[in-house]
Amino acid sequence: MSLLTVKNLRVTFDTEAGKVEAVRGVNFTLGRERLGIVGESGSGKTMTGRSILRLVRKPGRIEADEMTFDGIDLMKASERQMRALRGPRIAMVMQDPKYSLNPVMKIGRQLTEGLRLREKISDKEARAKAIAALEAVKIRDPERVMEAWPHELSGGMGQRVMIAMMLIPNPDLLIADEPTSALDVTVQAEVLKILDDLVKERGMGLIFVSHDLRLVSQFCDRVLVMYKGRVVEEVEASKLMEAKHPYTQGLLNCLPRIGGGRGPLPSLDRSAPWAEA
Amino acid sequence: MALIEVKNLSVFFEAGDRIVQAVKDVSLSVDEKESYGLVGESGSGKSTILRAICGLAPISRGEILIGGEPLLTPRGKAFTRKVQMVFQDPYASIHPRHTIDRTLSEPLAIHGIGNTDARVVQALRDVGLPESFRFRYPHQLSGGQRQRVAIARALMLEPEILLLDEPTSALDASVQAETLNLLNRLRAERGLTFLMVSHDLAVVDHMCERVLVMQHGRAVEEMENGALANASMKTDYARMLYEASADRMLG
Repeated sequence: MSLLTVKNLRVTFDTEAGKVEAVRGVNFTLGRERLGIVGESGSGKTMTGRSILRLVRKPGRIEADEMTFDGIDLMKASERQMRALRGPRIAMVMQDPKYSLNPVMKIGRQLTEGLRLREKISDKEARAKAIAALEAVKIRDPERVMEAWPHELSGGMGQRVMIAMMLIPNPDLLIADEPTSALDVTVQAEVLKILDDLVKERGMGLIFVSHDLRLVSQFCDRVLVMYKGRVVEEVEASKLMEAKHPYTQGLLNCLPRIGGGRGPLPSLDRSAPWAEA
Repeated sequence: MALIEVKNLSVFFEAGDRIVQAVKDVSLSVDEKESYGLVGESGSGKSTILRAICGLAPISRGEILIGGEPLLTPRGKAFTRKVQMVFQDPYASIHPRHTIDRTLSEPLAIHGIGNTDARVVQALRDVGLPESFRFRYPHQLSGGQRQRVAIARALMLEPEILLLDEPTSALDASVQAETLNLLNRLRAERGLTFLMVSHDLAVVDHMCERVLVMQHGRAVEEMENGALANASMKTDYARMLYEASADRMLG
């Protein structure tokens, strides 16, 4: 059985200037696999990820014909039920550790806060679990990091701390929203390796939201390509180079390549018929 | 002759009671009309070199020559007519409460250059923006459009040298392609010299004739454009950056 089913998901913002449709009829199902969602800024990829957790702020509205997670109807669940899902069952890693960690709380306290509230365990046990989680994301000297403030960590360390935090309750589904775009390429590779191992070992489902087509193709099983709130193409990651849709091809071709020609890069033709509607 | 010469440059910052060495003994020279790239991870000191040229970071040791002349401190008007910088984040580098018109005409006013009206219109046209954008504010533009404004602003004084600090890393892939094409076109048309910082080897390879790889404030290896393409780098670090580059992932 699939872990997550999404049918005809729509996210609409009612603004003074009229309706803005950020997501317009997205369908997909997810098993215990790695699904990538790619697109440019404003394509609705992040909103799709956030809708699953119903984390869309007003005036945004989420509508869907069906959105079920492991037999639970996410559209009908009460706010109380949703809160029980967020974290323990479905976790989300945000883009930038600088903005997503609490700047005035030590790392150790942030990591154990949820644990202590949820599981009512002692400080000592919570601490041990947090340290184990930091070790799982390959942080050297976790004792020191527990006592550190967020501003004392590098981008890569901050991102790993956030991943550790999400993994403590052992969720079934992890939504990673551009988890590595703020990182250097070498650190990026490390963080991806960690995510990959965790997904394999724990058999989690993963939704990986990114603007980087190359990264996604290397890291995921399947890729949804989004443009203006719609899925324009779904491809096997291994067959990305054979993608048919002109938008997907455009995204691939506009990237400079090492040793590629020095001539002008092909740019996306947004006037083509596919870009309408 | 080399237009930009950086000789044994070191940049130190005082942070509380310790000294941070951001750049350690780096030398490079960029020829006229050349495009030269600096690559490395964050904290490698690549942006600090650009900032030291502009006077935004101190030159602690060594010297920088532009056109054979040592730099003055403060840099002065003659310098800004020759050298301009484009910053990484177009959301942060343009004044949010000035119209595009004001942003573009301010350098002209400072330097007492007339004919403002025609120059602003021409500048917008040169970077491929419609004239109707002239009286808009930055928040009414997309990231790519703002970066075009930032490039237009840098070109208002018709400089010879553009210092480009990660000019496309805040942009989408498709917008990056358009911006890189724009920069290449402007360089060809005006005979500009580029000193460009990027963390993306593929971007630097596309844009630059020579590349300097940096790590922890030091120069690791300088490569010709072809050396990257056929992977004939000599140092392990440059090879590691090359292997980790997203470009390799497509095989």
